[in-house]
Amino acid sequence: MSASTAVDHRVRLSIVGVIVAALFCALLTRLWYLQVASADTYAAVAQSNNTRVVYTEAPRGRILDDQGRVLVDNRVATAITVDRKLVGKQLDTVVNRLAALPNLHLTAAQITTELANPRASVYKPVPVALDVDMNTLVYIREHSELFPGVAAASLPVRQYPNGSVAANVLGYVGDINAQELAAKKGTDYQPDETVGRAGIEQTFQDDLRGTPGKEVVEVDAQGRVIRTVSSTEPKAGHDVKLTIDLDAQKVAEESLQQGIDAARAQQDKKIKTKFQKFKAPAGAVVVLDATNGSVVAMASNPTYDPSKLTNGISNDQWAQLQDPANNLPLNDRALTGAYAPGSSFKLITAIAGVEGGLVTGATTINDTGKLHVADRDFSNDGGAAYGKINLSRALTVSSDVYFYSIGSRLWSLQHAGDPKGNIIQDTARKYGFGSATGIDLPGEYAGRVPDEAWKQKIHAQDPKDFPYSIWLPGDNVTLAVGQGDLVVTPLQLANAYVTFADGGTRFVPRIASEVDQPGGTVARTIAPQTAATTALDPATRSVILQGLTGVVADSKGTAFGAFNGFPLNQVSVAGKTGTAEVGIKENTSVFAAITPVQTPKYVVLSLIEEAGYGASDSAPVVRRVISGLNGMPTPPVAYIPPTNGN
Amino acid sequence: MSERRARRESGAVRHLDLLLMGSVLATCALGLAMIYSASHARLEKQGLDPLYYVKRQAVFMVIGVAVMGVVMAVDYRKIRDVAPVAYGLLVLVLAAVVSPLGTRSKGTQGWFQLPGGFQLQPSEFAKFLLIIGLAGFLYQHRGELDAYRLAIACFIVGLPLALVMLQPDLGTAMVIAVISIAMLTVAGVRGRHMLVLVLIGITGVIGIWHFDVLKQYQVDRLTSFLNAGKDTQGAAYNQDQGRTAIANGGLLGQGYLSGSQTEGGFVPEQHTDFIFTAVGEELGFVGSALLLALFALMIWRIWRTGAIARDLFGTLVCVGVVAMFAFQIFESIGMTMAIMPITGIPLPFMSYGGSSVITCFACVGLVANVHMRRFS
Repeated sequence: MSASTAVDHRVRLSIVGVIVAALFCALLTRLWYLQVASADTYAAVAQSNNTRVVYTEAPRGRILDDQGRVLVDNRVATAITVDRKLVGKQLDTVVNRLAALPNLHLTAAQITTELANPRASVYKPVPVALDVDMNTLVYIREHSELFPGVAAASLPVRQYPNGSVAANVLGYVGDINAQELAAKKGTDYQPDETVGRAGIEQTFQDDLRGTPGKEVVEVDAQGRVIRTVSSTEPKAGHDVKLTIDLDAQKVAEESLQQGIDAARAQQDKKIKTKFQKFKAPAGAVVVLDATNGSVVAMASNPTYDPSKLTNGISNDQWAQLQDPANNLPLNDRALTGAYAPGSSFKLITAIAGVEGGLVTGATTINDTGKLHVADRDFSNDGGAAYGKINLSRALTVSSDVYFYSIGSRLWSLQHAGDPKGNIIQDTARKYGFGSATGIDLPGEYAGRVPDEAWKQKIHAQDPKDFPYSIWLPGDNVTLAVGQGDLVVTPLQLANAYVTFADGGTRFVPRIASEVDQPGGTVARTIAPQTAATTALDPATRSVILQGLTGVVADSKGTAFGAFNGFPLNQVSVAGKTGTAEVGIKENTSVFAAITPVQTPKYVVLSLIEEAGYGASDSAPVVRRVISGLNGMPTPPVAYIPPTNGN
Repeated sequence: MSERRARRESGAVRHLDLLLMGSVLATCALGLAMIYSASHARLEKQGLDPLYYVKRQAVFMVIGVAVMGVVMAVDYRKIRDVAPVAYGLLVLVLAAVVSPLGTRSKGTQGWFQLPGGFQLQPSEFAKFLLIIGLAGFLYQHRGELDAYRLAIACFIVGLPLALVMLQPDLGTAMVIAVISIAMLTVAGVRGRHMLVLVLIGITGVIGIWHFDVLKQYQVDRLTSFLNAGKDTQGAAYNQDQGRTAIANGGLLGQGYLSGSQTEGGFVPEQHTDFIFTAVGEELGFVGSALLLALFALMIWRIWRTGAIARDLFGTLVCVGVVAMFAFQIFESIGMTMAIMPITGIPLPFMSYGGSSVITCFACVGLVANVHMRRFS
């Protein structure tokens, strides 16, 4: 019995042993599977589980003028940061102590909001105050036991050594918003990133941005940083070198401001019922290189101080910038302003007239002061009669009747179904009107060249405000003198004069010439780009240029008064005034100039809203800009009382 | 003390199982190292002594060795004779802990609060006492395990089991069940009786399941390993993080104190029930396999002692300890690798916890006692 049970126990003991051995085998197998066989899969899980990437924004590249002078720089702003690891009572204490520092001008609520900003990285200290004064910094450092987790940091901040100069071209920077971030999905753009919001800052964002520093940190289960696994330093962005010349830009902006101020000091004599001065709410000056279409200066008025937009802007300030009563300083009038060009458009009508075979340089028309077309009288400005005049004379004195007659005759051709009837529109398009110039700046307006097709379209869309679908004789007559439904931007108009001046090559206006690496090595050059070429007969060009030269030099020229005393023998100037009627508002004052005449180097254009005659306000502005470009004295802009001729 | 007895005792000491002792002490040393690894970072962050748990565990081990010495010093046959007393003590202690004398922690009424911040977990010691009590009864009725005696044996097991379930401490209940089944099997329960027991057991489990005896969190914990990876923040979080840590170890491990999951504190309860995940991550497959080898050596020595024991009581004691260690090892390691459900079961000699360490040493002392006196 006892022997048999002993054997029995032994067998049963063996069973227990076998089961235990099996369990150990199971553990070992599972261990092998997890740690060796499928290690790669699980290792990746562990990696993503406990490492986080912390990005440090790279300093943005600088923006330079054509000679390398700094237009936009970075300065180092001293910031106070608060560690994210602070929690609970300790955090409250620190926040309250910071709020109690008088020079920080921060409330506890503001600091708490800043700390809770979901766009700031969880893994790095949050800046709560920028540009902290030295006394406060020293105080915090000497009382570090009162401010646990508070540190000083140096942050790169956009700086503008020349104040608001070229602000509309340069643009400004701001925190990336949700939409922009969504558009950058898949890149290393971070929620607390600074991005260009307008102008060069926006279009050259990719060049200016640089490569953010990347620190891979290991975190624990509570998300606290344990150690740094790897880190790469941020690489500063590339510098963008503009074609804009700081001196030219300054003189353009000053002259424009003076022109606006001068107009605002003048009585608007059109208004007979009361004494009222010109409003002159806004304007633009464009200086283009006549040989390659590069932008030498581009001013827009009113403008703004981009440094105010750098570290976030108060709602009040933003509302001011957006208020139409302040004439929308953020709008770059040179690119986005929509204007009737007035008589400055006669350049296009003249080219169209010759190329369409309607007139030659010798063709004379007897200007009686008005032209009767389709039961309506179209008059010269002030009803002046210029007698028998040829094409160049018509440009010099700015005879409307001469160009009315071209418009009227072309309408007859259109009516007869001759495609040549549309030659003004065709020529306008060839010279770049009706489409964006393609300049490397955001928000450009395309303008409009009206024709019968457009009229039908707009009538179909809005029959109430546009009751006529047919292209009437009056439409073509007013188009010929740059009025009616024609809308251009100052940049388009200046670029059309470049196309004429260089003999038929239309460029894409170039704003930047180079992108440089931080050390100064050229990363890429941006060559002038031709948009289109048009065959301009040198003879035609010569005849028209002669007329434009007379505008300035001839005693009957519309801008003769404005250039009175200007040394034309040293710096020759050709130009065309424009006085565009704008509904019930005062006229837009326009002047476009080509200088020097024989080998054109610059096209200078000024356009000022509600400022009267082109000859009165814009021509003196252009005169001052040309003086500046040539290193001559630049006395203040003087408003020239109107004579006749627009 | 007679001279003959003195000679016998010195002979007994000469028969000490050095392999068993070596494997136990090696495991203890590894345990201290891994407790440090799993807890120092968290303690440092709280501004506490990073060696807090290590020091306490070392104290527990010293106490454990002392307890083992006491258990070894008394001839196990004397212990055999007082087995009913051990059993009575067991029932008393377990009843006391579910009475207002015990304290609650983490939803379980399973501790006595001692002075000095120490806590006593009687369900750990219950395992040791039950092994003695059950072995004593089965030894007394060796070869006569008929249905009646089996029923008594079941009652002997059932009473402490029920008291442990009252706390409730599901893990210890499972260990007690496994210990009992193993001991009953080796003691000679007949095949058909075993079958009936198994059927009753299955019915019981189904009954518990259906009549909502278990709390929802217990059900979640027990079943989460079946759908691991789906619910990584809820009930399966521990298991998921534990498995990730082990997988992160790879063949050679991340290196001691260099496991990102371990040092980052991603695995909850890592210095106690989930201690194996620290081994897996920092020492890799090689280190983990080495630990399993240590455990295998330990269990083999205990099993061998059971095989060569002088009487059935000695054999059954060893079987009970083998079952206890083997199941705790399989469960504690298996749950970290998602092949077993999550229950709070310590890994012998590795997991932080005084009651567990002292109980394990006491059990090894019992086995060593049997081994030492196999010839006398």
